[in-house]
Amino acid sequence: MSKLKKITRKIKRKYPKIEVSEKDGCVRLCGELNNWDDIVAAGQMAVNQDFIGVLNDIKLKDFVEPKIKQSIINDKKYDGRNLDVLVIGGGVVGCAILRELTRYDLKVALVEKESDVACGASGRNDGAIHVGIDLHGKSKKLAYLMRANPLYEKLSEELDFKFIRTGQYIAFSSWKFLIGYLLLKSRAKHNGIHGMKFISGKKLKELSPNINPKTKFAFYYPSGGSVCPYGMTIAYADNAVSNGGEIWLDTCVTDMNVKDGKIVSVKTNRGEVYPKVVINAAGVYADKIAEMANDRFYTIHPRRGTNSILDKASVERYGNLSISMYGNAKKNAKLHTKGGGVVYTVDGNLLIGPDAVETPNREEIFTTADSINTVLNRQQDILPKLNGSDIITYFTGVRASTYEEDFVIQMGRKTENFVHAAGIQSPGLSAAPVIAQDVADLAVKYLQNSSPVTENQNFNPKRKGVTELRSLSLNKRDELIKKNPDYGEIVCRCEEISKGEIIDALNLPLKVDTVDGIKRRVRAGMGRCQGGFCQPRVLKIISELRNKEYCKIAKKGDGKIILGKTKGEE
Amino acid sequence: MKELICIVCPNSCVLSVDEKTKAVSGNKCSRGEKFALEEISHPMRSLTSTVATVFADCPVISVKTDGEIPKEKILAVMQKLKTIIVEKRLKIGDIVVSNIADTNINVVATKNI
Amino acid sequence: MRKERFDIAVIGGGPAGLAAASTATAKGAKVALIEREAILGGILKQCVHDGFGVIRYDQKLTGPEYAQKEIDNLNKYEVTKFLLTFVTKITKHSSDFVIQFVNRTGAGEIEAKKIILATGCRERTSKQIGIHGANPAGVLTAGTVQNYVNLQGLMPTRKCVILGSGDIGLIMARRLTLEGAKVVGVYEAKPTPGGLTRNVVQCLHDYDIPLHLSHTVTKVFGIDRLNAVEISEVDEKMKPIKGTEEIVECDSLILSVGLIPENEIAKQLAVPICPFTKGAVVDQTLMTLTDNVFSCGNALHVSDLADYVSESGETAGLYACKSQKTRNLVNVTKNKNLLYVVPQKINLDAPLSETVFYFRVMEEFENAKLTVFADDKPIFSKRYSHLRPPEMERLKLNISEYSDCHGISFDLEVGVL
Repeated sequence: MSKLKKITRKIKRKYPKIEVSEKDGCVRLCGELNNWDDIVAAGQMAVNQDFIGVLNDIKLKDFVEPKIKQSIINDKKYDGRNLDVLVIGGGVVGCAILRELTRYDLKVALVEKESDVACGASGRNDGAIHVGIDLHGKSKKLAYLMRANPLYEKLSEELDFKFIRTGQYIAFSSWKFLIGYLLLKSRAKHNGIHGMKFISGKKLKELSPNINPKTKFAFYYPSGGSVCPYGMTIAYADNAVSNGGEIWLDTCVTDMNVKDGKIVSVKTNRGEVYPKVVINAAGVYADKIAEMANDRFYTIHPRRGTNSILDKASVERYGNLSISMYGNAKKNAKLHTKGGGVVYTVDGNLLIGPDAVETPNREEIFTTADSINTVLNRQQDILPKLNGSDIITYFTGVRASTYEEDFVIQMGRKTENFVHAAGIQSPGLSAAPVIAQDVADLAVKYLQNSSPVTENQNFNPKRKGVTELRSLSLNKRDELIKKNPDYGEIVCRCEEISKGEIIDALNLPLKVDTVDGIKRRVRAGMGRCQGGFCQPRVLKIISELRNKEYCKIAKKGDGKIILGKTKGEE
Repeated sequence: MKELICIVCPNSCVLSVDEKTKAVSGNKCSRGEKFALEEISHPMRSLTSTVATVFADCPVISVKTDGEIPKEKILAVMQKLKTIIVEKRLKIGDIVVSNIADTNINVVATKNI
Repeated sequence: MRKERFDIAVIGGGPAGLAAASTATAKGAKVALIEREAILGGILKQCVHDGFGVIRYDQKLTGPEYAQKEIDNLNKYEVTKFLLTFVTKITKHSSDFVIQFVNRTGAGEIEAKKIILATGCRERTSKQIGIHGANPAGVLTAGTVQNYVNLQGLMPTRKCVILGSGDIGLIMARRLTLEGAKVVGVYEAKPTPGGLTRNVVQCLHDYDIPLHLSHTVTKVFGIDRLNAVEISEVDEKMKPIKGTEEIVECDSLILSVGLIPENEIAKQLAVPICPFTKGAVVDQTLMTLTDNVFSCGNALHVSDLADYVSESGETAGLYACKSQKTRNLVNVTKNKNLLYVVPQKINLDAPLSETVFYFRVMEEFENAKLTVFADDKPIFSKRYSHLRPPEMERLKLNISEYSDCHGISFDLEVGVL
């Protein structure tokens, strides 16, 4: 009780009108404030290890929370389906969980409200596989990351997604930071990070000729890497579907029926389903899903981040290092972000970002000139010659942060057949393979209480993606084209992608038919002209293969590209 | 006095026409004078567009009027073109619609199918 | 795998490549023409409007008709055509270029002594001009819209805003209106229109489409599909003025914000690129600074008239046939009133009597006087009552008298009466 009094005093000193109470072992905040940053600050003040979590129900004055974005489809396609496990959310964690579940003889399905997987944060991040040097020793983030980090060579080969072990550089602009060398070395040892190396300013300048001349030295951590985050998500999804899992796109959870501490049914825009276990991998909506399941003990406060991608010529100018400036990290410690950096991506581009802005909008994926400039200015600390004209595209994603700023991986507290895989933010992508293993184990253990769960004898961990022909030798390419002439017809000129590869993408186990879905799978539309030349051709291929009229094909979601014909009908 | 811009060639001369005396000034050539007088009495335009076909390899074929038509008939011509479906593999210059919208001008193909 | 050998490989079968290939073949060279689409003609295939060929053929032709004339010309000769063929890599092996390509029959190579790059240009994208939003459907460049409407018969919009008053934007404003769409307005960040004045008249005035100068689009609304844009006034530096924002409901934002020469292959060959044209640096024979690599058409510098594109193709084709033993290069310099002059170099050992120069001005000028100098000596001058950046100028000069000069310079004085 006194613990709550302490928290209450702290909060009321700054926000006298806010009510602080205890609910189900959590600290609950109610009331109204004028400013979102204040609401977040109050929530942060409520974090305390003697309580389970923070229920921040403070309302923002004059703000109406936008309705969840969901498909206009409304039917009974999945109505009445019985499942062993239902996974809510088609991000990297949800898809990885589904794939792990297909190792067993279970009826499993995943629901995703968008028209493809990886449309949320999983498709809108910098793809970095983190080292963990900045993570707190006792956090779940660190524990999961350290287990997952070494797995990527094998995993990327098994599931055929792009990964490179780039190593991570942290640069320092002042010799005073060298004092921290021993501290960082000991932290690295404590966290289980190996191979930390000292890199001289001279060596750094050789590797990156246009690096800030003020850079004195850097630390190099060999365990850093880069993946294609949506490529990895799609790979998991494809493998899950190949092994019998179902993925229901355009399907959004609208409500749940909970009775006597158990979820009985889950309502969606495509019918009511009956799962034995429900897994919450719903990203920015994880607390809302938990609320529906009568098992909420955390609150998501969304935090958006914007990244910019530089043209490939930038690698010649700035080098191919994944690097960030230490000063940035300190500046941003309060914002719970590393301050971003420069990432060398699997596609041979440089990426800069992200920034971190608290927002009440869970789906604020709009880019802004301010965010682009913030990221540019920050990364000019390390690469002073960075220029807006280097940027070829940009995107924004929203982190699903809890106030405790750590993962929530556990069985439900009040609802017995509910599993949380929530609060996933950096290093969520990196940790996903192991989060998935643990969550799948939890679900299987729960099911085993009622009846035996057998292993899927037909489980095949290997998944083959689309072969990228442009990186093959002339002879190998010729061989493939002679077998399938579609491989010789280039559709995306900027990225050199053939008709055959686009058709292969359309034939992957998880079937999509949006232009953006193809873009995520084979990069058609991601080059210099950003789809200017290839979009009409990609549309034609989708139309022919799926036997769909042009005006029924979308760029993404319900966003049709063609609104009608010029002649004839209508 | 009416001011208008000549559209006959890229020079885009700024012309002045005295509606009473029909005197034209500002033109660099005789085509400009002719254009100005026409423009104030019955403006004419050439029209280019497309027309639907039955051919999958060429869903629409580009066409043009083989002369100028009255500006106020453009809408009528477009409405008529909307209803045409070409069923023969035409050559450049082949007539698609003759005397379209009573203009005495034909619409011809500008592409070989 | 066949490795056929050619005298000249022309990369690109649009008007520049067609003219280059015809000219070179007519002069007896063994020519390969490589085109990535199934049909020759380049971007002209989708330009159904007229105005092409006024100079070259003394007729007002539509794009497809002009293209067909060039194709018919080419077909008079024996040219090896590689259609639906994409060049993947070009490397230099001793005296020959090895061109790697793929098409539906396989991946192969040909060799050529000389290369003519006629690779055209692409459109500037929404990201390059800082359009912000959630990347919905409904943001398209004008050329892509032109493809949908004129080649596929598809309408990607019913109500749109066009950003950019260059000719493509103006032409599409009219085209879309004729096909039943509502063009709410054409918005232009600069204080003057980007395209030909006659196009402003016959595309916008004729159809009562408003032109808003000194305005730009600052935001795009809609997640899956665009449903509105935010327009702002801009200042002289083209920066949005806070407080002038206006929301315009529409389903599309169509961009006509500039063309960029396509020079990925030139970069592969380490051909030096001019920062003003974004195309290769060339001499009057249109040979780049990389021996035996020529550049022409929009890849060299974006032209307004297809007629000039064809002319540059002919020049490249002509000189690619000649054996140019020596290169005695001098610079062509320009003063600050000129955006660029092409060619950027003169080869004093190559023919000088019919040297064609193209230039563009930095901004709109009245009463200008151009003087061309060979070293310090004025060798030519011309007065222009009106010069605009969107209207490229052409000059043909005989500079054979100055074959021992150290440089040519273009000096544009403004406000000269």
